[in-house]
Order: sequence, then C-alpha cells, then structure tokens
Amino acid sequence: MTELVLPHHAAGRRIPLIGEAAIALAFAAAGALGYFLFPDDLAFLTRLIGIAFLVLSLDLVTGYCGIATLGHAALFGGAAYAVGAACIRGISDPFALLAIGLCSGAVLGLVSGALISRFRGLPQLVLSIAIGQLVAGLANKLQWLTGGSDGLSGLEPGKVFGVFGFDMYSRTAFLLSFTVLAITFLLLRRVVNSPFGLMCRGIKDDSLRARMMGASIYPRFVIMYGIAGAVAGLGGALTAMSTGVVGLDSVSFERSAEVLVMLVLGGAGHLWGALIGSVIFMLFEHIVAAANPFHWMTLVGLLLILIVVFAPRGLIGPLTALCARLFSREKKT
Amino acid sequence: MTKMSRSILSLAMMAAMAGPASADVIKVGVIGTFSGPYALFGKNFKMGIDTWVAQNGNKVGGHTVEFVYKDEEGPNPAKSKALAQELIVKDKVQYLAGIYFTPNAMAVAPLLEESKTPLIVMNAATSSIVEKSPYIVRTSFTMWQNTVPAAKTAIKNGAKKVAIAVSDYGPGIDAEAAFKKTFEAEGGAVVEAIRIPLNTTDFSPIMQKIQAAGADTIFCFLPSGPPTIGFFKAYVDNGLKAAGVKLMSTGDIVTEIDLPSIGDSSLGVLSTYHYAVSHQSPENKSFLEAMAKVGAGPDEVAMTGIAAYDGARVIYKMIEATNGQRDPAKAVDSVKGMNWVSPRGTVSIDPETRHIRQNVYLRVVEKVDGKLVNKETGAVFSDQPDWALSKR
Repeated sequence: MTELVLPHHAAGRRIPLIGEAAIALAFAAAGALGYFLFPDDLAFLTRLIGIAFLVLSLDLVTGYCGIATLGHAALFGGAAYAVGAACIRGISDPFALLAIGLCSGAVLGLVSGALISRFRGLPQLVLSIAIGQLVAGLANKLQWLTGGSDGLSGLEPGKVFGVFGFDMYSRTAFLLSFTVLAITFLLLRRVVNSPFGLMCRGIKDDSLRARMMGASIYPRFVIMYGIAGAVAGLGGALTAMSTGVVGLDSVSFERSAEVLVMLVLGGAGHLWGALIGSVIFMLFEHIVAAANPFHWMTLVGLLLILIVVFAPRGLIGPLTALCARLFSREKKT
Repeated sequence: MTKMSRSILSLAMMAAMAGPASADVIKVGVIGTFSGPYALFGKNFKMGIDTWVAQNGNKVGGHTVEFVYKDEEGPNPAKSKALAQELIVKDKVQYLAGIYFTPNAMAVAPLLEESKTPLIVMNAATSSIVEKSPYIVRTSFTMWQNTVPAAKTAIKNGAKKVAIAVSDYGPGIDAEAAFKKTFEAEGGAVVEAIRIPLNTTDFSPIMQKIQAAGADTIFCFLPSGPPTIGFFKAYVDNGLKAAGVKLMSTGDIVTEIDLPSIGDSSLGVLSTYHYAVSHQSPENKSFLEAMAKVGAGPDEVAMTGIAAYDGARVIYKMIEATNGQRDPAKAVDSVKGMNWVSPRGTVSIDPETRHIRQNVYLRVVEKVDGKLVNKETGAVFSDQPDWALSKR
C-alpha cells in the first residue's frame, strides 16, 4: 500500500485569514496616510477611489475573463444615475443608496454580460461600444429621469450612521469610499481565487481545453459580468453621493477608454494591477493638470507611450518580479 | 478618534484660514476650458483677466490679488465640483470665477454658501444659474437676453414662418423658449422646433426637416466651437442659403473665432449679441490693444475675454469693498447696481438678479478689408435685462 504524500503548503494556512488581515492593515495604513497627510486633497482622492472601482470591475471581465470591452462606463454611470434619481426622489440614507447602486450595477452587468459574452473578438468589442453608446444616448434623451445634458445636480445624501454628513472637505465621503473599497477588494480576492475565479481564468487562457473538461463558459462569464457590474455600481454610487452630481461624462466613451488605459497601465489580470493603474494614472493627471492646466493632455499622452513601450504588460509585472527577487534574497541570507 | 482628528483638523484649518489675511494675498480660483475643443474660450478667460491686471495692477488697497487656473475640460460636472472643492479647501481661494458650461456651474453652486465664496460666472448662460446661490454674480450674458432681441428683429424683417434649431441642453432650451414666446406674442408662427443632441456632427437631416417645414427663416443656437461650423456647412450644402432661407442666431454661431473657418458662406447672417469685436468705441479699442499685448493673436478674442475682463473688475470691486476680508454677503452687495462703461458698451449689475444688464446689438456678417467681421448695423437694444429672471 502506497502512501500518498501531499506536499504541505504552509504559506498562509497556519493562521486563517492572515493574508486578508495583512491586506486590510495595508489598506488602513494607506487610508490613514491619505487622510492625515493630504487633508486638502480628499475631494480628489474620493474621485480617484470611485474610478478605482470601475477599473477593478473592468479587470474582472477583461483581465480575468479576457472579454474586451469599451463600454464599461455604462455600468458605472447607469448605477450613478439610478442613485441620483433615487436620491432626488427622497431616498437619502447612504447605505440604501449604496445598495441601489450595487443592485442596479449588477443588473446592468448581467444584462450587458448576457449579450457581450455571446461573442468573441471584434464583434464583442463592437457590441460593448454599442451598449455603452446606447446607455449614453438614453441618459441624454430621458430628460425627465436623468436631466439630459445638464445632468442631475444638488443631490444631498443623508448622514452616514446619522452622524457624519457629506461636507465640502469630503472627509466623510473619503472614509466611506475607502472602507467600501477595502471590503470590496478583500471580497474580490476571494472571488478570483475561488474555483469559479480560477475556472474563468482557465477559460480565458484556453477555452477549448476548458470546454473539453466539461466547463460551461457562457454562464460563468455572465455571472462574472454581474459581479463586475456590482463593483462598478458601487463606484458609481459613491461618486454620485460624494460629488452630489451625475453628468453625461459618467457614461461617456471617454470614461470607458480611460479606465481601459488605466487597467493596461497597471496590469490586467491582477487586482493590485487595477488599483496601481488607477492610482498612478489619476495622480499623474492631477499633478500635471495642476502644474499646467493648458497643456497637460500632451504630457499624459507621452506617459502612455512610454509605458506601452517599456512595460507593455503593465506596471504590476516589473513590480511583482521585484518583490519576488527581494523575498528570495531574504530567504537565502 | 475621528472626533479628535476632526478637532485637530479644524484647528489646522483655522490656522490656515487665518494665514492668508495676514499674508495678504487674495486668491481667485478660475475654472475654465483650457484644453480640448473649447480651449480658445478658456484662453480668453485668462487673457481677459491678464488684460485687466495689466491695466490696473495686481494690488487692491494693499492686498495682492493672485489668480489660480484649473481646467474644466468639457461638460464634466463631477470634475468641476472636485476642482472647486480643491480651490476652496487647498488653495484657500476667496473668490471663484470662470466656468464655461452650465452643468459645471450647477455642480459648483452648492459649495458656495458653505464655503462663503462668491462665484463670478464668466460664461455659462442658462438663466437659472444665478438663482442657485445668492453668492453668484454673472458678467457674461444669458440666452434670454440675446434671444428676445433676435425674435423682435425677425418680426421687423418680415419673417412669418420660423424654424428653431437649438442644441439640446440648458442654454439651447432657454433660447428656444425665449424665441418662441417673443415671436409668437408678436404674431409670428414657429413651424418647426428641433433640439439637436450636443455631440451631433451631421446636420443634413436637420436641414432637410427645416426645408420640409417650409420655413422662411431659421433661428438657431449652438454652443460656439466646432459644432457651429458643421451646422453652417449643412445650411449651405443643402441649398437652404441658395433658396433664400434666412439664418438668424444669437452671436454664438458666428463668433469671430469661428468665422474664418466658416468662410464666405456666412456673409449676410444676422445675429443679436452683447459684444462684437468690431464694436466702435475708445474703450474697445484700448481693450483690444491690451489683449494683443497679453498674447491674443488675430481672430482670437471672443466673448469670454470681455466677460472675464469685466468679471475681474467686479472681483476688484468686491475685494475693495470687503477690504480683503472673507465676507461674501458684503462683497456681493457691493456690486449690486454697480455700473461702468465696458468695451462692449454701458453695463450694470442688476441688483435683483445679480446678472449683468447690457446693450444687445444687431450685427451682420460682412467682409471688411478681406476679413469676415460681425458689423453692427446700428440697431441697438439698450440696457437689456435677463428677460427670464426679470419678469418674475
């Protein structure tokens, strides 16, 4: 009788949830850093977090499932409009609004996912653009609901826990957004490392092989799209609540294209890559636009060319390689 | 924890707020379209302000005035609001100014009362903006202000059946309402009213619709910039100009900036507007000379330049009245009823609406020395209020 010896992977198994705890701690540290070091920039940081949700969401479908899309802002903006319309009609509890954003985003995700993931390649890309344009067109046309090109303004969400109001300094908005981002990130980590998430990645890498194993592709992609929609919806809801306005820019093609650029910049297929990409792109844009409000777009273009030339797979590649090298050196010494 | 951090923060903020008063630099945040398709109008904000500073110095009663510029890019209310927040919280500006697009102004308005910051709107032309906060003063124009004279001119010129074509957003809808109300009240008929989506590039279907409706005159409004050129091209290409259908507008579709790209087909177009670069007055002459000195090339002066120039005058008056202290109510009160001779003619701030009262001129596109200009015909609608606000 032979004994089957399973190699025992000690990493992270000895103390349950240690990985999660470490990440939560890292998030808390980053949040505190932002809050205390840049108390004057919280409005910008909150805007950044809203976009980071959208980039994370895009990463789920593009990075993990290989679905090319240029209409992702539809999920974000659709949810933002839902939240805005609800807020104007008297629903002011921030958590109720978050739930509305989450649900409407998920529904939009499921619907567009059901359409988009039926196709591969160029038709898929075209369809994603069409859906994005459709939502943008509706947002412009349905004036009674969306305010047309004036958008919805003057949203006044209630206080968080009945205590912390949304003010000019964006303190509440920042802390709320940041907490939701940290929780979302931890949950997403679970999702992408679950059998479901791994199977999605497997399908992306070799769909024929996955099909041979008996995996059904379509429902998995639709579900992933739904999850992505929920994440984008959270971002839309937080952005709508913190800025108090929802405009056509939130569903625009430019927004969709911009987040794709951020994802590529950070590295698709990594949750960290999505975060890094959005942070670096937004920071760069912010600093350059502040330094030179007249010619900043040129410099952003230059940055993109440099990144594509020197780090075509995103900044996460060189970063992980660096980390791996550091850790292995530590082990040797 | 949060309470403590809040109190520390508020202490820090109080210290910071006390700072500028002693340092005696008064900052004015200017939000404008400094990049993208509307960049030239944003540049005019800056040039208008630079011209005022060049003529009057950067000191008001011992206080140094400093202007900080932020790029609003396009109609993007969320970004504009974040920029305004940043200007207020981080740059500690005492005044906000500029703003090209209406939705962006709407997004910034709720911040003003909480932060005690007056806003001097230098373009955004929807009437209701000044009603969004008591701290808003506007030195540009409104659609009602420029459109009511257009409707009166149409009647006078014998127009019977008019088609209205406007951009489908705040100012466009204002223009449509103003023209329709005035024109129908005087006995004219509006046979077609079309709202054009903002990002439309092909205007041919619209021209065909107008032709089918049998209109003898088109009244149109589009935001100045690229769309107006396409609109004009479609008007000529579809044979409406040749068929004798007249085109009237507020000055926005024939801005001096766009005229060279529109070309000769614009000859004879009538427009009513509050400012023509060709306006004959000593004030305008010295204004244009000074604009050229701060970098305005030929054909680069637009209505946002004059609004910014007069806006800077209003801000200086506010700083003088409050002696550099943050007192928005006093600042706004000090300019109510203020009147002066601007390069565009005699103007005043309406004490009730906080909007500028000004002359509206009827102009016609003509060629002078080989250059297309909006030549004033001599018909002046003097001291026009914002009709939408003043009637209430």
